[in-house]
Amino acid sequence: MSSDIFNQLVDAHYTPLYRFALSLTKNSSDAGDLTQQTFFIWAKQGHALRETAKAKSWLFTTLYREFLRGRRRAERVTALEDLGPAEADPPAPAVDVLAGMDANLVVEALQEVDEVYRGPLTLFYLQDFSYKEIAEAIEVPIGTVMSRLSRGKAQLRSALARKEDGGRNKVVSFQTHTARKLP
Amino acid sequence: MNNTEAKFILQGYRPNGADAGDATFVAALEQARRDPGLQDWFNREQAFDATMCAKLAEVTAPTGLREAILAGGRVTVSERHRRWWQHQALMAAAACIAVAFVAGLALFSHPAEAADDFSTLALRDTLYNKAHGGHGVEAGALQAFLMGPKMRIGESLPIDYAALRRSGCRTLNLDGREVLEVCFKRDGTWFHCYIAQRADFPEILANPSPAVSEVKGAGIAAWSDGSHLYAVVTKSGESAFGKLL
Repeated sequence: MSSDIFNQLVDAHYTPLYRFALSLTKNSSDAGDLTQQTFFIWAKQGHALRETAKAKSWLFTTLYREFLRGRRRAERVTALEDLGPAEADPPAPAVDVLAGMDANLVVEALQEVDEVYRGPLTLFYLQDFSYKEIAEAIEVPIGTVMSRLSRGKAQLRSALARKEDGGRNKVVSFQTHTARKLP
Repeated sequence: MNNTEAKFILQGYRPNGADAGDATFVAALEQARRDPGLQDWFNREQAFDATMCAKLAEVTAPTGLREAILAGGRVTVSERHRRWWQHQALMAAAACIAVAFVAGLALFSHPAEAADDFSTLALRDTLYNKAHGGHGVEAGALQAFLMGPKMRIGESLPIDYAALRRSGCRTLNLDGREVLEVCFKRDGTWFHCYIAQRADFPEILANPSPAVSEVKGAGIAAWSDGSHLYAVVTKSGESAFGKLL
């Protein structure tokens, strides 16, 4: 693998990978480590991938696997799948209110969504993946992705409503354009 | 399709319009056009999703992360290459490896697809290694399952990987990555089942449907589930897999 290809891959994918990692780990430092680790695995083994067009999917899948391996939470994931149907359209801030909320607060609400729903939900909001590609990336059936998106959105709406109600004073652990501009 | 089903589908429709050509959404979108209530819900859903996408897009990676990845990647790549040209011991073995590589090309060249490391190991072991067979209680139980009618290629197998290893199942080593092997017989034909943990082979893409091919007279069926990679190989050619369908 040439360093040019590696550089191109990093430039194309490290930011969305970091966003995905941040939603999973809830911690900027761990998200950075997980993103780096994913690219290092690529540097060691990615040359064996026969179709470079699948690099994006490979990177996200590898990051997700590495996260799950680190957390060893397979049993919890299974248990959460057994929950009842998602709450139908729980109360959430109006869109204009949501648009005015601080991005840190919004991402913090996303991080409160159960892990099993948070992965596909974050990939959905990154907009780089169709639900079929999300199914490939996290290695579950398409129907399961749809179900997790539905439940994840319900949890997200509830979390956003709580944040909007007054949970604005929690410490956040990630950076946004706004935060980076601060002295 | 009722509105509940339509909502279930439409909530997976990306707000940037990237799914406009996806046939899965056509019926639900059409229903929304006909039903003002559903259309109103869909418009609100899209506005919510678009706002969430915009908020997530505001998150930036920490300063220096890109540079750290690039620097670490260069070290990793150079370390991988260093094995080949900086160590004298490996240089001394290079001629042998080159011969083996040429022989391997001749053996495993296939018009349809190149074998990955796991499949290549399975084929090579079946064709050239005479010491086969699982060992231990766990391997015996797995062998009994494989010999029975419930075993079908393409389906998950009842694998307790750690227990198989502990009980002495035959284990192959591929660059530090372990592959278990258990032989079994079905209708007079011997098959060799190779099992690896998916986490050890992240470069191999998910393949829930069995990929069947034939290399130099040996049939191989390879597939995976959420936890394991499987390859079943037989010297009797790919037609023998008819016994396992």
